[in-house]
Amino acid sequence: MSKWLSRFLSSPTNDAPLPDQAATALRRWAEQAPADTGRAHFETRYVVVNTEATGLDLEKDRLLAVAALAVDGGLLAPHDSYYGTLASHPASTLAELLGVAGKAPLIVFNAAFNRTLLEHAFDEHLGIESETLWIDLYFLLPALFPERNERPARLATWMERFGIETFQRHHALGDAWAIAQLFLAAQARASEQGAHTPRALADIERTHRQYRSRL
Amino acid sequence: MTAIAADLLVGASTDFLRNFSPFNRMEADALAFLAERAVLAFHPRGTDILTPAMGVPRRFHIIQRGKVQARQAGPAAVTEYASLPLGPGECFPIGAISARRPSTNAYVALEDSFCFQIGAEEFLQLMQMSPVFHLFCTQYIASLLSQSRQQLQTTFSQRAAEQQTMTTVLGQLIKHEPVCATAATPTRAVLEQMNAQHIGCVVVVDDERHPVGILTQSDLLPRVILAAFDLERPVSELMTANPHQLAATASAYDAALAMATHGVRHLLVVDAEGRLKGVVSERDLFSLQRIGLRQIRASIENAADVSALQRASKDIRQLALNLIAQGIGAEQLTQFISTLNDALTRRIIQLALETHDLLGVDFGWMAFGSEGRHEQTLSTDQDNGIIWQCAEWENPVSIRNRLISFAREVNASLAACGFPLCKGNIMASNPDLCLTLDEWKSRFGAWIREPDPEALLNASIFFDFRVLYGNERLGDQLRSWLNKVVRGNSAFLRMMAGNALSVAPPLGRLRDFVVEDNGSIDLKKSGARLFVDVARILALRTGVDSSSTAQRLRQASGKMGVSADEVSAIIDGFHFVQLLRLRSQHLETEHDAPGDNHVNPDTLNELDRRILKEAFRQARKLQIRIKLDYQL
Repeated sequence: MSKWLSRFLSSPTNDAPLPDQAATALRRWAEQAPADTGRAHFETRYVVVNTEATGLDLEKDRLLAVAALAVDGGLLAPHDSYYGTLASHPASTLAELLGVAGKAPLIVFNAAFNRTLLEHAFDEHLGIESETLWIDLYFLLPALFPERNERPARLATWMERFGIETFQRHHALGDAWAIAQLFLAAQARASEQGAHTPRALADIERTHRQYRSRL
Repeated sequence: MTAIAADLLVGASTDFLRNFSPFNRMEADALAFLAERAVLAFHPRGTDILTPAMGVPRRFHIIQRGKVQARQAGPAAVTEYASLPLGPGECFPIGAISARRPSTNAYVALEDSFCFQIGAEEFLQLMQMSPVFHLFCTQYIASLLSQSRQQLQTTFSQRAAEQQTMTTVLGQLIKHEPVCATAATPTRAVLEQMNAQHIGCVVVVDDERHPVGILTQSDLLPRVILAAFDLERPVSELMTANPHQLAATASAYDAALAMATHGVRHLLVVDAEGRLKGVVSERDLFSLQRIGLRQIRASIENAADVSALQRASKDIRQLALNLIAQGIGAEQLTQFISTLNDALTRRIIQLALETHDLLGVDFGWMAFGSEGRHEQTLSTDQDNGIIWQCAEWENPVSIRNRLISFAREVNASLAACGFPLCKGNIMASNPDLCLTLDEWKSRFGAWIREPDPEALLNASIFFDFRVLYGNERLGDQLRSWLNKVVRGNSAFLRMMAGNALSVAPPLGRLRDFVVEDNGSIDLKKSGARLFVDVARILALRTGVDSSSTAQRLRQASGKMGVSADEVSAIIDGFHFVQLLRLRSQHLETEHDAPGDNHVNPDTLNELDRRILKEAFRQARKLQIRIKLDYQL
């Protein structure tokens, strides 16, 4: 058992002790082997994660809710999903989120904000560091669809370019639903270009990010 | 809390589906079932979503966004309908997934498209739990019926040299204003007009243009020249009175049938008030056809011996091929075949009468079974008998013997003309089937009183009788007697019903069709018979005189208050089975193999398979009806 987990399970942090269900979810998460990032999309379960916060300032704003939505083998299934608020028991919510996400490659839109916020929360409430692969559509989409938009853009812009709608904007799950659909399109386009695995997607995303930062 | 997320997403899918038919009408639990199981997939522009090569479809798709093009794949590319692109809310495949067969269409994403999908098993569950969805799918499949007919036509038109639609209305076939004369016109004036205008016939009309007679070129030799007719006398003395007429709304098919039936070359076309509109000649109808109906009919009527009739019998088959090519329905086609076969049989009887002295004997030649029902296909063996009666002072034994020896010759000639001898010896030469009216009554009466299995089998063959040659009144008397006796005997009808239900439609629970060991379905025994048996019972119960299945169903259901739509769906089903029988017999005759009634469903195209399945469902519906009626 890893150090952080024993610490967490034996001597509680600032948070109240985890309910059994969340503890089990977390334990199961910890025991999982990291996903193989060299497998093809159709054999890979990706998980779209997304957040809802009080604002966009990482220094001041707080995380309000989190959502996860799996894209498993190129399919978006309503039952493989999660939504929870952090109001009453943040540690429990985050543990459940990890329970659903597992160690799948994580898809996020605007990692600079969402990933940072989530990793802070994991550290603060659960005392863990996630080592999974993150793929940021913010950079991946312009790399794959330059004909639709050459440069990184807001989620609303991409939704409009693809004609994608969602049942509720600015809601962690509502936006995750739109992000997941964008990711379905991204998977298909990447495959056409010979990028068949999570690792290949991550490479495209990183290359575009670095290219952008040099501009 | 995963439940919250799932609820939100399922709710979103439900809201989406509710914008479209049939989902907006679907039962709440069924819609929930669908929305909970629907997963979303993406199909980039230009990719195949489903093709025939993918085999039995494993998924049912509902387009969420984008456009999908359905293209008919393979040799059956005939339907316009298939080229319509599908948009949001539309779904596919319906027929293939219900029938668990590979799709006939290829579905290609025209644009980047998102589709919800559920598994094939879930689709079938949904059909079961939702009457609305079930109806939606059934109606879709039913609409394929007309497509199949088109497809059939295309297949055959490649083989037939030319195509002419037999459903053209006569009014459209009239090319010239008819040449008319009044009854009092001197014959010379009429003939001069025919000569001047190069026309083949003149119609004699009254003051209101109602036709009263016709004079054709072929009448001139016997009636004018050879008879040295006085040309100053009025044409009314020369013409053929009461000429055959048809309404302008009748079809070319009707005209062809009338020409074949009456043995004439010209028919008068009249409007709703009976006034002359024009003349349709055989040439108008069949100018393009290699073998004319009347030609066959004439060759039958003028046949001097059996070998000439053998040729005519081959022509009948060839004509049937042409007619299938022209897209004639099974009901009309079998009527055609039946009409010509009747003519053939009558000529055989006439030839036999030349050598058998039956002068003064009151008899009728009866046809049973499919021939009795006017439902002959191309391979029908003989089912016939004789009904007769004699005065008290006559010697019945000698008459019977003369009839039997006459019948023996007729049976042999029929066999020579392609109607095989009946294996069960249901032939007029069998002394048991050469009976007087009273003997037939007592025979039928015994079956009705004691309906053992053999009696019921006999009833199913013999009760479909009609008199084909000779004294038809004998047949009418037997028919009205039979209807009266059966109506008063519900126990017998109930036994008949039980017998009719002994063969179930070959629909499988797991597979589409229940097939025999060699993989085929007997379209006669487990197809047509299902309809025929029930129709017979309904006809007997309601006192319908007709012996044809479609007529029986139509007339009986009228009396029983069944809706016309329902009946025509059933009759369509019956005709489709008949059409398949004809087609398979037909294709086999081309290869000189004896026609049979077996079809292997795997060799049918997808469309025909689905429709065959639907036809069997109609048969089941019919069976359920009498099951309920007789509480079996």
